[in-house]
Amino acid sequence: MWVGAFFIVFLAAVAGSSCGAARLYRFPLSNRVAIQDWRPFNVAHRGSNGEIPEETALAYKRAIEEGADFIEADITATKDCVLICFHDPILDDVTDIAAHPEFRGRRATYEFEGQNLTGFFVVDFTFEELQRLRLRQRYSFRDPSFNGKLQIITFERFISIALEASRTVGIYPEIKSPVFMNKHVQWPQGKRVEDSFMEILQKYGYKGKYKSDEWNKQPIFIQSFAPTSLMYISNITDSPKIFLIDDYTVRTQDTNQSYAEITSNRYLDFISNYVVGIGPWKDTIVPPNITTGYLMNATHLVSRAHSRHLQVHPYTFRNENQFLHFDFHEDPYEEFEYWIKTVKVDGLFTDFPGSLHRYQEWNSKE
Amino acid sequence: MFYVSLLLLLLLAGSDCRVFQFPFQTNEPYNIAHRGSSGEFPEESVLAYKRAIEEGADFIEADITATKDGKLICFHDLILDSVTDVHDHPEFASRKQTYVVDGVNVTGYFAVDFTLEELKSLRLIQRYPNRDQSYNGSKLQIPTFEEFIAIALASPKSERVGIYVEIKSPTFINHHVKWSEGRKFEDVFLNILKKYDYNAKYLTKEWLDKPVFIQSFDPSSLIYLHNKTSSPKILLIAPDSITSDTKQTYEEIISDDYLDYISKIVVGIGPAKEAIAPVDSNNKLLPMTDLVDKAHARGLEVHPWTFNHERNLLLPFDYHQDPYREYDMFVNTLEVDGVFTDSPESFETYRRQWRIFSKRKRPYKNE
Repeated sequence: MWVGAFFIVFLAAVAGSSCGAARLYRFPLSNRVAIQDWRPFNVAHRGSNGEIPEETALAYKRAIEEGADFIEADITATKDCVLICFHDPILDDVTDIAAHPEFRGRRATYEFEGQNLTGFFVVDFTFEELQRLRLRQRYSFRDPSFNGKLQIITFERFISIALEASRTVGIYPEIKSPVFMNKHVQWPQGKRVEDSFMEILQKYGYKGKYKSDEWNKQPIFIQSFAPTSLMYISNITDSPKIFLIDDYTVRTQDTNQSYAEITSNRYLDFISNYVVGIGPWKDTIVPPNITTGYLMNATHLVSRAHSRHLQVHPYTFRNENQFLHFDFHEDPYEEFEYWIKTVKVDGLFTDFPGSLHRYQEWNSKE
Repeated sequence: MFYVSLLLLLLLAGSDCRVFQFPFQTNEPYNIAHRGSSGEFPEESVLAYKRAIEEGADFIEADITATKDGKLICFHDLILDSVTDVHDHPEFASRKQTYVVDGVNVTGYFAVDFTLEELKSLRLIQRYPNRDQSYNGSKLQIPTFEEFIAIALASPKSERVGIYVEIKSPTFINHHVKWSEGRKFEDVFLNILKKYDYNAKYLTKEWLDKPVFIQSFDPSSLIYLHNKTSSPKILLIAPDSITSDTKQTYEEIISDDYLDYISKIVVGIGPAKEAIAPVDSNNKLLPMTDLVDKAHARGLEVHPWTFNHERNLLLPFDYHQDPYREYDMFVNTLEVDGVFTDSPESFETYRRQWRIFSKRKRPYKNE
C-alpha cells in the first residue's frame, strides 16, 4: 500500500512537471548522454541563427536538434534588471521596434564602448515592454519566414532550453557590455550585472571546474570581452571562463587595453589564472589579405595559448560565401577543415551548427 | 646465343607485361566540372579545366561555339562582353552589333564576328564579382575545342577524365557562320570528336577509354547526329523555355510521349535543378516533380545543373546555406546519375562521404 501511494505521488510529480505548468524547469536527468569531448566543441553562436532569428527559443532548439554541443547567448539587462538574451545594445536591427509608435519617444543617443550610438536602447525598456516586440532575421539573405513571430527570451528561459534537452547540452553565456550595463541599469543594493548573472547560474546549479563531474552534467563556459568581469566572478564561481578578444583596433571596454597588450605572452600568463581559454575573432588568428581575398600566414596566437593550456574558440564561422576567404573555394566545410585540422582550435562559434556537426560526423567519429 | 635468348626472353616478358589500366568510374554519380572549376578560375579556361582534373572531376564540361572563320572554341555566351576584356581593346570597338537571338535583340561583341586569331588576343575574366578576380586579364585565353580535348587526353591514366561537350546555339551559329562543302556546325563538331577517337557506344570498353557525352538544348541537332556517331547524347532541358530549333514548350519536352521518343536518341537528360526541385518566390522548395522517376523509368540518366554555392547568392533556404545538403538531396534522395557543378572539389568531398553511408537503391550504370 505504501508502494502504491508512493507510486501515485511519483506519477503526479512527473505528470505535473511535464505539463508545462508555470515555468517549471526540469532538472537534468542524471542519465543524459554526456557531451562529446574528443573533438572541438560545436558552439551554436546565437543559436542556429543561419536559419532562425538569433537568440530565440526556436533558434536554440534547432541548434540542439542539429547536434550543437553548446548553445551560446549574449546576456544583457533590461531597465527593470531582467537578464535577457540579446546581442545589440539597441533594438533597431533585429526587432520590429520601428512598428511600435508607442515607443517613439524612447530614441536616445548614448556613448557605447567609445562611440556615440543612437537608437532604441534595451536598457530603456522594461522586460514587459520588450515582450511586445517581435524579432527578425538580421541578414537579408537569410530565411525571413520567421520574422515577426518570435520574442526575446530571458536568461532563465535560455538555461531551461539546455536543461530540457534529452542529451547534455552546454550553455555558453556572455556577460555582455558590463560597463554599459552597470552604468545604465539601476541594480538594487549596489549590485552589478555580474552578480545578477551569477545568481541565476547558481540558481540552476551551474558549478564545478572544467571536466569535473558537476561540469560534465551541466557544461558551461562563461565568456566576456571585459577582463575585470571575469576576474570579479572568479571569486564567486569555479565554472570555466573564456576571455573574448576583438579585432586589432578595439580596446577592452573596462581596462582600455590594446589588442597587442592583451595577446602578449605576459598578459596571457596573467589571464590564464582566471580563464581556461580565449575566444578571438578568427581574422586576427589568420589574417586575410583584404586585396586578394586569400589568407596570409597564421600568427602564433594559437600555439602561445595552447602552451599555456588555454583553449582557443574562435568566432564566427558562417556558410555564406561572402564570409569565406578564397582559400576555401566557397565551401564552408573546407573552412572547418582548415581550422580544425591545421590551426587545431578547440571549439568553433558558428551560425550553422548543423553544417559543422555534419562535417565533424564525417571526419572525426570516436 | 645466350644474348639472343636473353633478348627473346625479355621480349616475351615485355609482351606479357600488362600496364594496369585504371577503369573510368561508373559506379557513382558523375562529377561534371561545369565550365571547369569555374568557382575558382575564369570559366572555360585552361586553368579551370586543369584544376577540375586535379580535384577529381570525372568530366570536364565545355560549351562549343564557332568563330567567324569557322574554328570551334570553348565559350559559353554568344557575346564576349561578360567574360573577356574585349572592352579594353579599342581596335575592336566598331564590332559591337545587335542581332536577334531567339526573338530577342541582343547587343554586344559577338564571337561569330571575330576570327580565332582575334579572339586569342582577348583575355578571360571571372564572370561573378564575388569570386576570385585575381586571374582576370592575366594570361588566360579562350581555348579551342582541340586544346580542350588535349587537356583531357593529357590527364594521367589514374585520373582519366571524360569530355562533356555542348553543341551551343546551333541555329544561331549555322545562320552566321558558313563552312565549305555544305558542312554544318554539327558536322564540324563531330569531325573533331572523331579525329580524337571519341565515337563509342555508352559504357563499352572503347567508351570507358574515351568517355564523352554530347549535350544540347536543341533536339534536332542531336537527332541529326544520331546516325553519324555512336557517342552518347544528352538532351538539356530548362523549365519555362521553348526549344530554339523545334519551338517546343517545356511541357511538351517532358511529356511521356516525348520522353518515349527521345529515349531512342539520347541516353539521358540534363534538366535544370528547378525542373526537379522547383522553388517558390520565397526561395523555399516546392514539392519535387516526378521528372527523375519518369526519366529513370525509361532508362534515361539524369544529370541536373548547376550546383554552385552562391548563384544569385541563395540556395533555397531549405538547405540552410549548406551546399552539401543540396548535393545530398539530389544524389542520396533523388539518386541522380551525375551533377554539373562549379565546385568539383566540393562535390568530390561529398562523394567521399556518400560512398560510405549511401544505401544506393538504383542499379549501377553498367548493370
